[in-house]
Amino acid sequence: MITNFILRALDGKITLTVAILLVVAALVPALNLLTTPDSALHIPTYAMSLMGKYLCYALLALALDLVWGYCGILSLGHGAFFALGGYAMGMYLMRQIGSRGVYGNPELPDFMVFLNWKELPWFWYGFDWFPFAMLMVLVVPGLLAFVFGWFAFRSRVNGVYLSIITQAMTYALMLAFFRNDMGFGGNNGLTDFKDILGFPVQADGTRAVLFAMSAIMLSLCLLVASAITHSKFGKVLVGVRDAESRVRFLGFRVENIKLFTFVVSAMFAGIAGALFVPQVGIINPGEFAPANSIEVVVWTAVGGRGTLIGPIIGAILVNAGKSFFTGAFPEIWLFALGGLFIAVTLFLPKGIVGTIRQGWTSRKTLRAAADQEKGRGTALLPQAAE
Amino acid sequence: MRITSLFAAFFALLLVSLAAPSFAQQPVDPKPLIDQLAKANFSQAEDLIGKMAAAGDARVVPVLQAFTDGDLYVRKTDNLVFIGKTAGNGFELVEPLTGESAGQVAKNAVTKIKVNNSLRRAIRSAMGGLTLLSPDRSVRLQAADAVMRSPSSENLELIEAALAKETDAEVKARMEEARAVSVLSSDRSVEEKRDAIQTIKDLGGRNALGILNTISGSIDPALTADVEAAVAALQSEQQLWDMAQNIWYGLSLGSVLLLAAIGLAITFGVMGIINMAHGEMVMLGAYSTFVVQQVIRDSAPALFEWSLAIALPVAFLVTGAVGFLIERGVIRFLYGRPLETLLATWGVSLILQQAIRSIFGPTNQEVGNPSWMTGSFPLGGMTITWNRMWIILFSLSIFFALLFLMKKSAYGLNMRAVTQNRRMASSMGIRTPWVDALTFALGSGIAGIAGVALSQIDNVSPNLGQSYIIDSFMVVVFGGVGNLWGTLVGALSLGVLNKFLEPSVGAVLGKILVLVLIILFIQKRPRGLFALKGRAVEA
Amino acid sequence: MTTIAETRTKSLLYLDNVSVSFDGFKALNALSFVVEPGELRAIIGPNGAGKTTMMDIITGKTRPDTGAVLFEDSVDLTKKDEADISQLGIGRKFQKPTVFESHTVWDNLELALNRKRGVFATLFYTLTPEDQKRIEEILTTIRLTHRRGELAANLSHGQKQWLEIGMLLAQEPKLLLVDEPVAGMTDAETAETAILLKEIAKTRSVVVVEHDMGFIRDLGVKVTCLAEGSVLAEGSIDFVSSDPKVIENYLGR
Repeated sequence: MITNFILRALDGKITLTVAILLVVAALVPALNLLTTPDSALHIPTYAMSLMGKYLCYALLALALDLVWGYCGILSLGHGAFFALGGYAMGMYLMRQIGSRGVYGNPELPDFMVFLNWKELPWFWYGFDWFPFAMLMVLVVPGLLAFVFGWFAFRSRVNGVYLSIITQAMTYALMLAFFRNDMGFGGNNGLTDFKDILGFPVQADGTRAVLFAMSAIMLSLCLLVASAITHSKFGKVLVGVRDAESRVRFLGFRVENIKLFTFVVSAMFAGIAGALFVPQVGIINPGEFAPANSIEVVVWTAVGGRGTLIGPIIGAILVNAGKSFFTGAFPEIWLFALGGLFIAVTLFLPKGIVGTIRQGWTSRKTLRAAADQEKGRGTALLPQAAE
Repeated sequence: MRITSLFAAFFALLLVSLAAPSFAQQPVDPKPLIDQLAKANFSQAEDLIGKMAAAGDARVVPVLQAFTDGDLYVRKTDNLVFIGKTAGNGFELVEPLTGESAGQVAKNAVTKIKVNNSLRRAIRSAMGGLTLLSPDRSVRLQAADAVMRSPSSENLELIEAALAKETDAEVKARMEEARAVSVLSSDRSVEEKRDAIQTIKDLGGRNALGILNTISGSIDPALTADVEAAVAALQSEQQLWDMAQNIWYGLSLGSVLLLAAIGLAITFGVMGIINMAHGEMVMLGAYSTFVVQQVIRDSAPALFEWSLAIALPVAFLVTGAVGFLIERGVIRFLYGRPLETLLATWGVSLILQQAIRSIFGPTNQEVGNPSWMTGSFPLGGMTITWNRMWIILFSLSIFFALLFLMKKSAYGLNMRAVTQNRRMASSMGIRTPWVDALTFALGSGIAGIAGVALSQIDNVSPNLGQSYIIDSFMVVVFGGVGNLWGTLVGALSLGVLNKFLEPSVGAVLGKILVLVLIILFIQKRPRGLFALKGRAVEA
Repeated sequence: MTTIAETRTKSLLYLDNVSVSFDGFKALNALSFVVEPGELRAIIGPNGAGKTTMMDIITGKTRPDTGAVLFEDSVDLTKKDEADISQLGIGRKFQKPTVFESHTVWDNLELALNRKRGVFATLFYTLTPEDQKRIEEILTTIRLTHRRGELAANLSHGQKQWLEIGMLLAQEPKLLLVDEPVAGMTDAETAETAILLKEIAKTRSVVVVEHDMGFIRDLGVKVTCLAEGSVLAEGSIDFVSSDPKVIENYLGR
């Protein structure tokens, strides 16, 4: 049963993507560490960190795609789950600074000393222990998604209403995290990290491992997402997206289906945030900004929602474009991004991958129809959604 | 101390009387009387002062003020009297009545007119008489207020004298109050003071509370209970006023929310379009105001007071036109796909923001307030600022104008027909695309008008719209989509709720709580406060 | 009232005195209605008579303001939601054919199959030979075997109606509610649908809402005519269509 679940994930394109990601996970760090800076093949550390960042964004886009592309829930608050995962990692990293902070307090992070706090707030307990922090990377976003989804899906908040309240959720969290008394560093957030698991965060070796981890976690999440969408559950999910009431009248508990997907997706986003923070060296309340979450939507839309590869491609392409434009023509970037939103919705609603696939399937359907003319079906089992 | 503050009060009064001297009866020119001071001895001077007081010309008040302060000088060359101020090594001379400068002179070119205590007394009563007994009613009122602010036993006599002659009921009441305050700081009998406490208590407000609080320590022990009772009564009254003030602040915030949301109530509530660029329409309206003011400043500064009135149609047309273009260029291809509309209009909002940023720069632009938008006035125990007052009235009038347009006009009928049943409306001969475009332009134009008003109370920057978009959606969703009344009630109640949470939990946490409450509320009533029910909506 | 009390003991579906109103409009007005096990029943009535609202109430989409709705004499349907009611054994076909357009015909049936519907049960579900056989049977019944691998979106309107009926069969319901099954069908398709429904009604109860009088005549079953939210007449098609109230309200003179 379980093996079936896993085997189904290994559809051709997914396997290929995972293979590419694993090669990248090995090759890029190798080219960074094993070549000399003057070599033509050398990848500088900043470029590797940048690519690592893109992979985190890709994972975030994949998370959003699972709920939006497959289940029809347009979350405008996925940045919140990303940021919460990031904060969980940031709290671990803060605790690793120990007495090397500006104030040299072995117990309290600098900002708490600055605020004249005398002891560590209860919710910071345990974050000095890596496994606990990593558990929180999953649990905190998952719990928020669970509580939020429990209420929202049960009372059948749908469509744009849901989008608007997810946006309100991340906005409220942003306001909250800006407050100093929340105990998460207020405006400045968490930064000045030193070590992760005893290795210096800034060192090339650590960066290389973080990059490799990003690629590996992305592949892992991609496999999980693929297993989910290729199962019967995945088909129900698409059913919820296309004809929710039909799913209900078939006897499925739509709220549970949505809730499960929303929680899994939030956890993916949390993982992405946790990998993001050590690579960029900071997490602050700005990550909760509603604009960030909406930007994730456009990555997913560009790549192609309802496909698993699409959001990965979309996130990498759009962010590479962003890096290029903000470097070369900073004035143009927002025009370009705004134009991209409009262009994708008007001219490319299925996104890059979706459009390519559509062309491909329509050819296949033609062939299948031709086969049927000859009096036999193409396959006993119909091809899966992916 | 008290005397100086009394003088300070009189000096403020002087400004008023200089700005608007009013002569209720044929005046005697006081100028010769002033100049006679040059040669007068003390008793002659006292006589002259009495004559000046009798002349009833408030313009002599500063002269008398200068006299007591020892700032009155005689110019040796022509024996004329001037008010002198030390300037460098000499004096700057000022014409006593007009306040015009008469040039600088050396110290030895003038002699000081001497003053003694008996003269000072005469001057004070003359000044009190000039003001408390002034033929001008408003001068008397202000004089009474001045006495109230600086009670003393000397003033008590003045005011009692004035009271005896006063006939105007309102001025008389004000003087009674001023007298009561003075009685408390005099050595009058306990009974008289008890009456005075009652008078002050009846006066009410923060001032009365302040007066009673300051005297409560030094009062006759026999009266302590009276004072405490009066203070308690005033405090509970004050609490009511504070609550009223809070409601006012809430309504004021609510009216801002209403302004921001009202255009959205059309585009989202009626047409069902998620316009994420709505905030940018507000922003464009604010920038239109800025541009209008710039043009007025450059070419017709006299019109500045009218700048907002001019900006209103400009902003409406500019944002309406932009809205029209957005609808024709983007939204019309996306009807029936609300989530896509959301994304596309978000893209539009980014472009508009960046366009404004490129043209005007990223910093805040200075938008001026016309004089009628500045200042405040007291209402009972509350302070009402004019700009908030106008914004509340403005938002309500926009709301009702819109309601009228929707419910009563032929256009409103067409619009409702189109939103309820597009195919049917179209087959009845309504040009649905045209109605769509106009309706969206209308919603955008109203957002622009909102921007004109918001430019008066908020920073005009490219990010202006961003700070309103989420709140606006919350208002519309909370109030109930498709229901204008819901938007009104939603906006005002969210505003008031916010302001009531603020004192206990702080502004930011209050806002967070409101957001959380709305999120929970939507779970309970997914269609808002005033939801439409029925099969058609459920489907 | 005595008739209702008598029928209660053996009824499959029992509606008594059900009323519901939307913003003052009474969609159902003290409606009483009984379906026996194994019965095929047709419902007719003008637009706004409350036919769809009645189905909404039976399937848990709308809650009645007053009245009792019982399934198999014991289950109070007003306390259940759509998923519960579906799992109890009531299937519903919508007015507009509602199938999963981005799934194949086969997948549509697989999803509808009456198996465990929990999150984890569906995550780890594997198609068994038994389920495969069942789906193939249904494909034959609804005459779509040759299009099993096709996306539902590519089916004709009539085929979508059949697919939806097939999905209801896969659910193995005790009671099938079918809303306008032949709307938009060709005459040949309509006749075939009548045969299909009669076939289905051999093993379970079916309630059909239809406007097409010819189709109802083809079915040849007991007819209930609704108007303004309550029952106007009930009986054979000839009895009902000769009732003067029915003629005035619905058929027209």
